[in-house]
Amino acid sequence: MAIRYLDKYPKNLAKSLWVMKPTIVVLKLFIKNIFHRPVTVLYPYEKEWIPDNYRGRPGLRFDKCVGCGMCVRACPTACIKLIEVEDDNGKAVMRPQVNVGRCAMCGYCAEYCPVDAMTVTPEYELAEYSRYDLLYGPRRLHYEGTTEGMEVKCEVTLPSDIANGNPERRVSLFDLDRPELIDKKCIGCKKCAKVCPVNAIEMVEKGVNDKGRPILRPVIDNVKCISCRNCVIDCPKDALEIKEVL
Amino acid sequence: MGELLDWINFGSDPMANAYYPFDSYNLPFDIGYQLWEILGGTIAWLIDLIFPGNSVSTWLMCDAVSTLLALVVFMLLIFLVAFVSTLIVLWEERKCLGRMMDRRGTMVGMKGFLQCVADGLKTFQKENVVPAKVDKMTYMWTVSLVIGVSVLVLCMVPLSSRWFVVDYDTGLLIIMAFFALAPFFILVSGWAQNNKYSLIGGMRAAELMISYEVPMLILICTTALMAGSFNINDIVYAQADSVWYIVPQILGAITFFTCAVAEAERVPFDIAEAEAELVEGWQTEYAGMKWGLVMLADYMRGSVSCSMFVILYLGGWTLPFIGDGPIPEIVFLLKAYVVFFFMSLIRAATGRVRTDQILNLGWKVFMPLSVFNLVIVLLLMTGGVI
Repeated sequence: MAIRYLDKYPKNLAKSLWVMKPTIVVLKLFIKNIFHRPVTVLYPYEKEWIPDNYRGRPGLRFDKCVGCGMCVRACPTACIKLIEVEDDNGKAVMRPQVNVGRCAMCGYCAEYCPVDAMTVTPEYELAEYSRYDLLYGPRRLHYEGTTEGMEVKCEVTLPSDIANGNPERRVSLFDLDRPELIDKKCIGCKKCAKVCPVNAIEMVEKGVNDKGRPILRPVIDNVKCISCRNCVIDCPKDALEIKEVL
Repeated sequence: MGELLDWINFGSDPMANAYYPFDSYNLPFDIGYQLWEILGGTIAWLIDLIFPGNSVSTWLMCDAVSTLLALVVFMLLIFLVAFVSTLIVLWEERKCLGRMMDRRGTMVGMKGFLQCVADGLKTFQKENVVPAKVDKMTYMWTVSLVIGVSVLVLCMVPLSSRWFVVDYDTGLLIIMAFFALAPFFILVSGWAQNNKYSLIGGMRAAELMISYEVPMLILICTTALMAGSFNINDIVYAQADSVWYIVPQILGAITFFTCAVAEAERVPFDIAEAEAELVEGWQTEYAGMKWGLVMLADYMRGSVSCSMFVILYLGGWTLPFIGDGPIPEIVFLLKAYVVFFFMSLIRAATGRVRTDQILNLGWKVFMPLSVFNLVIVLLLMTGGVI
């Protein structure tokens, strides 16, 4: 009978000992694991190394923020909202508030922030006892120890740059875009100057109209401008549009 | 009325007692006897303090009663040691399996040992659920018997020539008989649960037992033939005198190991409880502490298999060139743990074997191998090598 069983493997008798191969593999792994610790990380007690730009909850540097609302527009889950708060001097300013319960931790807000006030932080233990506690106000968003890597930069290289023999990466997308005035649509309502968070727009008189009233036209200071598009969005006559400046 | 120390005659020789129940020196009975002398002496002193000059105190401390109550302590002690060694086996398997799978294994206290205790407490707190349509009497009795027989056979295994429960000429056969008893109860239990999974599991357990009991008994007889006795003491000391029987009987040792794995219903021969296909096999309808004890009984049987392997092939509690050594019990347990490590290794490395493959292996490979092993031993003995 034993012979008939072994007839299945007539050429190689050692194949009947198939059970030895996995056993030896497992024994090797066991011996290896005695000397090298297992790969499991005991999470609550020991934590893994976190990279510099780890995308945890968003953080905010209150004093740097200009309240332009770029993060609100960039947020894919619409969890950021501009609210009115008092700054250190008691002045009412607009600052973002983040609903961390809805936040996808994508880091777009930090990436698109023109003044690098919005950052990512390495905090990921965000459990709270109620939904209300998940609302992070501008002051609560503050994070101690913000490093350079946490201000996630939006680095790009344009094909036109490479063609011009300048393949360096631009640090910010916003060096490229500036609002431009379409002169004949403008009615001189000054709204763009009001909504500009960095006061880059100045209304300048350019002659008088038929009735003898002054014609006001916005002049944009390209150095001050942060390309937040508030003026483009709020313009009642769509007289401003974003153009790429090369 | 006397002092407390008048009643406690600590350090007296139990063998001088007229009712000493064993033939030779027995360490756990000695410990139990001394413990009872302290405990019973205190009780007798207290009774004497309250009712001076009564006869109950003297009755408590007389030879016969001392022996009887020392035996109770002795039983507790034997069970406690066997129980703790089973828990260590359980812990060893969980920890080793973890490392073999690149995990950490259990982590609760004392390098994970307290996880067994935590699991025990958890199952202990569970509700005692009995399904409505089971045959209640057999359902309860069979599981009690499975657990009871496993505990009994575990306590029967001697840890050394001074740590035993019974010491007589057919000790090995008695252990094997009790070891082979459990599958009958498993079969009946599978029937009683009124569940197809349990019934299939029970039938598989019976078929496994029938096919692997035969080569195992042939191997045991071979070893007994070599040692010239069924007495465990004799077998162990025969190995200490000549050579560990794993050397002449390497074929038999491998066969016995495989059969022992199958008898303990462990992976890869765990078709009786086959978690992946039969829910939990014959244990499906047992809940709470019943399941916990059944699981513990499984490990007890695994532990007994390892102990039997150590007794038959690895020289029991003796060490080469040293003999008994100062603490032979520890030597024996350590050897058993080493054998159990290989069982865990097999468990981690192999998948479950099909039913027909198990029967083929049992009848067509291990059965001829065990007979072949017997022939080798006979040739060696007639040739005068051993």
